[in-house]
Amino acid sequence: MKKSILTRVLTGFAAIALAAACAGCGNNNQPAATTTAAAANSAPAAEDNSWQKVLDAKKLVLGLDASFPPMGFTDEANNIVGFDIDVAQEVCDRLGIELVKQPINWDTKEEDLNLGKIDCIWNGMSVNAARAEAMNLSEPYMKNEMIFVVPGNTVVKTMEDLKGKTVGVQTGSTAQEILEASELFKDITVTPLEDNVTLLNQMELGFSDAVFLDSVVAYYYIAENNKDYYVLPGNLESEEYAIGFRKNDQALRDKVQETVKAMKADGKLAEISKKWFGSDVTTVK
Amino acid sequence: MLEVKNLSKSFDKLCVLKDINFTVEKGEVVAVIGPSGSGKSTLLRCVNQLEKAGGGEINVCGINMMHTNEKGKAVFADTKTLREIRLKTGLVFQNFNLFPHMTVLRNITEAPTLVLKKSKAEAREHAIELLRKMGLEAKADAYPSELSGGQQQRVSIARALALDPEILFFDEPTSALDPELTGEILKVIKELANDGMTMVIVTHEMAFAHDVADKVIFMEGGYIVDEGTPEHLFGDNASDRLKQFLQRFNQH
Amino acid sequence: MTGEQIETLFGLMLEYTIPTLKIFCFTLLYSIPLGMVVALLKMCKIKPISWLTNIYILIMRGTPLLLQLIVAQYSVPYILKSDACPAFLHALLDGVDIRSETYTFNMMLFAFVLNYAAYFAEIFRGGIESIPRGQYEAAGALGLNRTQTFFRIILPQVIRRVLPASSNEIITLVKDTSLASAIPYMEIMYIAKKQVPTYASLLPLFMAGLFYFAFAMVLTLLLSLIEKSLDPMWRRNVKTLRKGIFRRGNA
Repeated sequence: MKKSILTRVLTGFAAIALAAACAGCGNNNQPAATTTAAAANSAPAAEDNSWQKVLDAKKLVLGLDASFPPMGFTDEANNIVGFDIDVAQEVCDRLGIELVKQPINWDTKEEDLNLGKIDCIWNGMSVNAARAEAMNLSEPYMKNEMIFVVPGNTVVKTMEDLKGKTVGVQTGSTAQEILEASELFKDITVTPLEDNVTLLNQMELGFSDAVFLDSVVAYYYIAENNKDYYVLPGNLESEEYAIGFRKNDQALRDKVQETVKAMKADGKLAEISKKWFGSDVTTVK
Repeated sequence: MLEVKNLSKSFDKLCVLKDINFTVEKGEVVAVIGPSGSGKSTLLRCVNQLEKAGGGEINVCGINMMHTNEKGKAVFADTKTLREIRLKTGLVFQNFNLFPHMTVLRNITEAPTLVLKKSKAEAREHAIELLRKMGLEAKADAYPSELSGGQQQRVSIARALALDPEILFFDEPTSALDPELTGEILKVIKELANDGMTMVIVTHEMAFAHDVADKVIFMEGGYIVDEGTPEHLFGDNASDRLKQFLQRFNQH
Repeated sequence: MTGEQIETLFGLMLEYTIPTLKIFCFTLLYSIPLGMVVALLKMCKIKPISWLTNIYILIMRGTPLLLQLIVAQYSVPYILKSDACPAFLHALLDGVDIRSETYTFNMMLFAFVLNYAAYFAEIFRGGIESIPRGQYEAAGALGLNRTQTFFRIILPQVIRRVLPASSNEIITLVKDTSLASAIPYMEIMYIAKKQVPTYASLLPLFMAGLFYFAFAMVLTLLLSLIEKSLDPMWRRNVKTLRKGIFRRGNA
């Protein structure tokens, strides 16, 4: 419902923008038809040639936010790295194709996927009903809990203590949805921000009393940066990470799924998991 | 030199000039006087192509600028002729309208080089001569904003003279000036009159009109009410309306 | 963060000042002339043209630039998808590769140019309309034709009058280029944002701020110099001063 309105609004704006472009100036910024790669693979295809297309192009375009350690983020040298990236790289190597890491705006990831800018979203994306509806999701490959992190010196020791406090959460994330749906929501003030690290920094500076985020991220941070943070016992909800494909791209999804499964079987997946998390935390069967 | 017949002009429905007839001979100085809103400035603007007259006939230096056809519609000469006429007339504005981004010298040389295609040296020489005549040769490299109002108006007179016009029009040349500065402008105009320049001057300076004009035109409500020598108009034989106007004027 | 880390980060940001400068320069290059055209269209006596121009300006100034940047990115695929898309447009856009960097950059520039042209148009229109009628009349009375009047008398005065407001707009553009990071297009702000989680520190954002500040400062100096050099009196005084120094130097 929400998406269809967005679609309509965007179409309207786009039409106006283009009309203005044609009427206004005949400006030379019209995109030149430089390459021939088809863009219009968004129309429902009669037969599923999604895998064949990727194979023909010899590359899989992976869309990610590139600021979600340890799943997919940017390192000091501006390379995109992470657990998801390592797994995706291995998948592509096995399938004999190139992995293209395409940074996207997380808020418009569904548009980017459906309009063909990217082939999949693979960036520690949590499974929820809306996403299952909008995309063709892989089987979950990792479990993630939604937890509260507080500064080490705080009086907040349990979730009960959070009442009347300010909690930071990432905008547009499942964490935000879960928090807003929780019973706790009416007793706390929520400050949404763009990314988890800024949230944790803000918490240190006293802008908020706690941050609600993915356990995967939280533990990686605390370990990596030696932070004096405390994780409140218990969690609101556990969720799972999955890879998102276009609704009609069943063949591509199956091919990737199959390869990930094979990697689990031969121990490669566990190896990558150990590198990032110290143990095999994957849930692939 | 200048011939105006049955000239009329209205803005929307408002009639500002009605049945205007007068002539200016070569070497003659004509002063146009009258209360505000009497149509003096509009008359000048019509003759100088800044406004389009609604009907009648205007001839400048024997060239027809406009006339009215059989259907009563105003017909103007072609662009080339209008330009030709434009170069035979010069206009000095109430607010000087000097070009602020140019030096005094360039204000004067711009039109001769662009329009008359004079060489830069020639235009410059002429301009310096005119500035000398105006007592401003030291100000050639100054910018208009650095000059007093009186000096600016003298520059604008020099600018108009640089095109060697056959007839020079003044639209209230001293109205924007402080009273103590009007004298220097009137002196310049008087000198021009002595040199035999043909001039039409819209003015509120009655003493000056009396002094310098060969002919005075009194306008009111869009009509020419009275016309004649200064002795006639400022004497006892003038119309009652004019006497009334002058009386009121002298009270100020 | 250690000194070495800061050095790495600085080098990385320095590298990405080029994309930032690219957006900045190309936007100015196209939006200033386009702004002039739009200003003239807005003052056009044919009413429908003037109205259409007004609507364009209203939309560009009335909606966030960030939104315009996003809309521009998705315009081509959405138009291709739309049933109302005319055949000729479909044929024209069909070959566009929306995955290419050229597409991302061009559509982003397209939005920047259209947005800034609207602002420049209003500044230029104000400048042209602020020139008193007397200037046109004086030029006309001196026999200058319309072209001569515009280029010799009006335009030089308009340029001087619009410079302060345009400078303001140009400085704003320096900072607005950072909106490209939302596309995302890799420039200074994008790098800074992505390095925040990497270092678990806000320092990259502060450093980005310093880059913008330095850029804006250099521009401010440059623009004030241009502003001065367009002041004829200042120019003349400098000339006389130079002559004086020259003469003394030779004596």
